[in-house]
Amino acid sequence: MAERNMSMEKCPMPVQDPDVRNKNFDEVALGYTYEMAVNEARRCLNCKNKPCTSACPVQIDIPAFIERVANEDIEGAYEVLSKQTSLPAVCGRVCPQENQCEGKCVRGIKGEAVGIGRLERFVADYHREHCTEAPVKPESNGHKVAVIGAGPSGLTVAGDLAKMGYEVTIYEALHLAGGVLVYGIPEFRLPKSIVQKEIDNLKAIGVDVQTNMVIGRILTIDELFEMGNEAVFVGSGAGLPRFMNIPGESLKGVYSANEFLTRINLMKAYKEDSKTPIQHAKKVAVVGGGNVAMDAARSAKRLGAEEVYIVYRRGMEELPARKEEVEHAEEEGIIFKTLNNPLEILGDEDGMVCGMKCIEMELGEPDESGRRRPVAKEGSEFVLDVDSVIMAIGTSPNPLIRSTTPGLETNNRGCLITKDENGQTTREGVYAGGDAVTGAATVILAMGAGKAAAKSIDEYIKSKN
Amino acid sequence: MYKIVKKESLNPTVSKMVIEAPLIAKKAEPGQFIIFRAKEDSERVPLTISDFDREAGTVTIIYQIVGGATMELDTLKEGESLHDFVGPLGVPTHTEGLKKVAVIGGGVGSAIAYPVTKKLHKMGAEVHAIVGFRNKDLVILEDEFKNASDKFVMMTDDGSYGEKGLVTDALEKLINEGNDYDEVIAIGPLIMMKFVCLTTKKYDIKTVVSMNPIMIDGTGMCGGCRLTVGGETKFACVDGPDFDGHLVDFDEAMHRGTMYKDFETKAREASCNLLKGANA
Repeated sequence: MAERNMSMEKCPMPVQDPDVRNKNFDEVALGYTYEMAVNEARRCLNCKNKPCTSACPVQIDIPAFIERVANEDIEGAYEVLSKQTSLPAVCGRVCPQENQCEGKCVRGIKGEAVGIGRLERFVADYHREHCTEAPVKPESNGHKVAVIGAGPSGLTVAGDLAKMGYEVTIYEALHLAGGVLVYGIPEFRLPKSIVQKEIDNLKAIGVDVQTNMVIGRILTIDELFEMGNEAVFVGSGAGLPRFMNIPGESLKGVYSANEFLTRINLMKAYKEDSKTPIQHAKKVAVVGGGNVAMDAARSAKRLGAEEVYIVYRRGMEELPARKEEVEHAEEEGIIFKTLNNPLEILGDEDGMVCGMKCIEMELGEPDESGRRRPVAKEGSEFVLDVDSVIMAIGTSPNPLIRSTTPGLETNNRGCLITKDENGQTTREGVYAGGDAVTGAATVILAMGAGKAAAKSIDEYIKSKN
Repeated sequence: MYKIVKKESLNPTVSKMVIEAPLIAKKAEPGQFIIFRAKEDSERVPLTISDFDREAGTVTIIYQIVGGATMELDTLKEGESLHDFVGPLGVPTHTEGLKKVAVIGGGVGSAIAYPVTKKLHKMGAEVHAIVGFRNKDLVILEDEFKNASDKFVMMTDDGSYGEKGLVTDALEKLINEGNDYDEVIAIGPLIMMKFVCLTTKKYDIKTVVSMNPIMIDGTGMCGGCRLTVGGETKFACVDGPDFDGHLVDFDEAMHRGTMYKDFETKAREASCNLLKGANA
C-alpha cells in the first residue's frame, strides 16, 4: 500500500489561462497528469462506510477505484468504474461533484474533498488513450428493447441492458447521438470527440444506434412493440425552449439558448469554414442564471463579443449554476447583471435587436419554492445596449411522444408520470427517465434514472418469460 | 445514408430528386417536410415533401438552387446518397371535409402545393389550381397539376406563358365568377402568401399558408423557426408548417428570413468558386 497524502488541499488541475481560453473552444480544464492523479488518489482514506458512494447517483465504488489509482493500476480502476457507469469521461467532467460524491467526502470536513471527479476523468481519459483492446460484446439473451433518445439517460439504459445481453436499439432524432452532451454542453467543457468515443464503446458492445429517427412521427411506440421490442424506454429529455413572452422576442438576434448552443456545438458554427451560420454579436445579453446560461455566455464571448452580460432576476447567491462555472465565467470576463429583469427587447427598422429594456429588482419574501421572490423596483427601468439576446430561462419536455402514444400520462408540466423510482410509466412495458420525467435537471440524475430503469426493465422482461 | 434513385432537372434552377427512404414514405402526408444534410459537414435544411410512393419506398423533393446548401445538394448525382434525411416532420395539411378548394402555388412552392392538390382531388373535392411563375422557362409540374385539378390556371409575371399577371389576379377573377371556396391553400414566397391572404380577407375565405422559416433541428427544440400567429409564438416545425394565413405576422416572418443574408451570399459565392475550380 502506497503512503497516504495528508495534504488538506486538492491537487490543483491545470487550466488554460482565462485570457487565452476565452478566445478558443478548446477544453478549459486540462486534466491531471499521471503523477498528479496518483498523488491525489493517495489523499483518499478508503473509508469503510463510503459516504461518497452513497452520494453518487449511479453508486460507483469510489474508494475501490481510487485505491487502484493510488496503486498505479489505472486499468483496474477503469474496470471498477465500468461496472457502474457507461460514461465516466463525461461524468468526471460535468457532474456537480460538490453536491454529490465530493460533498460527502470525509476529507472535506477539515479540508478539501478528494478530487473524485478529476480522478474519474483521469482514469477514463487514460483508458481511452492507452487501451487498444476492443470492448467485448456480451452473448445475446434474445430479448429486444427499444430506447428513445440518445442522451445521458438513454445511453445509460442501453449500456446497462447490452451488458446483460439484451439487443438494444436506440432511436435518436438528430443526426448525432449524445443528446445534450453533443448539442448543449460546449466543446470547452466537454470535447465532442470524448462523447463520440463513449458512444463508439456502446456500439462495440452491440448497441444499435439509429439516428435521424423522430419517434412519434416515423414510428410510434406501438409500432416499436409490434417490431418485437418487449420494453421501450423513453429518454427524450426536455428540449422545448421557453421564452419570456415579452415584446421583441421575435426580432433578429434573439436566440433560445438551445438554438444558439445547437448551432455552435452540433453544427460547429464557431468554425471559420462552417456551413451553418451564427451571428457574431458585439454585445450580448444572456437571460437566466443556470449552467445553460453560463455555457451560452462563455460561448458568445468566444465568438468574439466584446461585452457579454448575464441578466438574472435574483442575486449572485441565488444563481442556480455550478459555482465553478460562475467562477470560470467571471474569469473570462462575463459581466453579471444580477437583480435585473428584461421587460422588452428593442429593434431597429431592419428588425434587428438594438437594445434590451430592463428593470432593477430587489428580493422580497420567500416564495413557495423557499427562494426569496424578486420584486421590481418602480421607476428603475434602463436600456442595456446589446445587439443579441439569448434566452436561457429553461426548457420543458417536447409533446411529440406523449401526444402520439395512447395511455402515456403526463403531469401539468408535460413531464411523463412514473409510478416509482424505477421509471415504470402508466403504460405497461414503457419506462421513462431523465428530463422527460423530471423536467430540465442534470446529466448524472438522468444517468441514475437510466440505471434504475434498466434494472426494472430487466426484472419486467424476466418476469414475463 | 439515403440513396438518390432518380434525379431530374425541371428547369434551369429547379431539380427533382427521388430518395430511397421507406420508413418516411410509409408515413408521409401532404404538408409535411423533411430535413436533409447533403454531406457530413452540411447545414440542416428543411424541404417540404413534394411526393411519396409508399410501395416503392421513396420520397420526392423538389428544390430551387438558391444558396450554399442547395448548391451542395445539387452536386450529388443519381445513385449517390444524402448523408441525412429526417422526417416526416410537421403536421399534415388538414383536408378533411373540404368540398371546394382553390390551391395556389407560387414558383418552386408549386412543388409543395402539388401533393395536397392531388390528395384533395383523390378525395373527390372540387379543386381549382392556380400556379404562378416569373416566366415560361421556370414552369414546373404543369401536367401533374392539370391531371389533379378540376380547373387549372397558369399565370406568368411577364405573360410569356398562360395568362399575364399575378396569382391573386386569377384568384380574384375566379371568386368574382361566383366560385364559393371552403378554403384557399397558398404555398409560395412569403410576399405572395401575404397578398393572397389580403385578397381572401376581403371575401372572408379561410386561407391556409405553408410557412418556410429558418430551421435547425425541425423537432421543436430550438425555436429558431418561431412565428407570431394570432399574437402567440408558434414553432413552425411542430405546430405547423401550415397556419391560418389571416393570423400570421408576415412582415415579422419576412424580417426573420433575412437573418443570415450576408452569410448566405458569401456561402453562395464560395460554392460558385468551388464549382468553377472543379470544372476548370
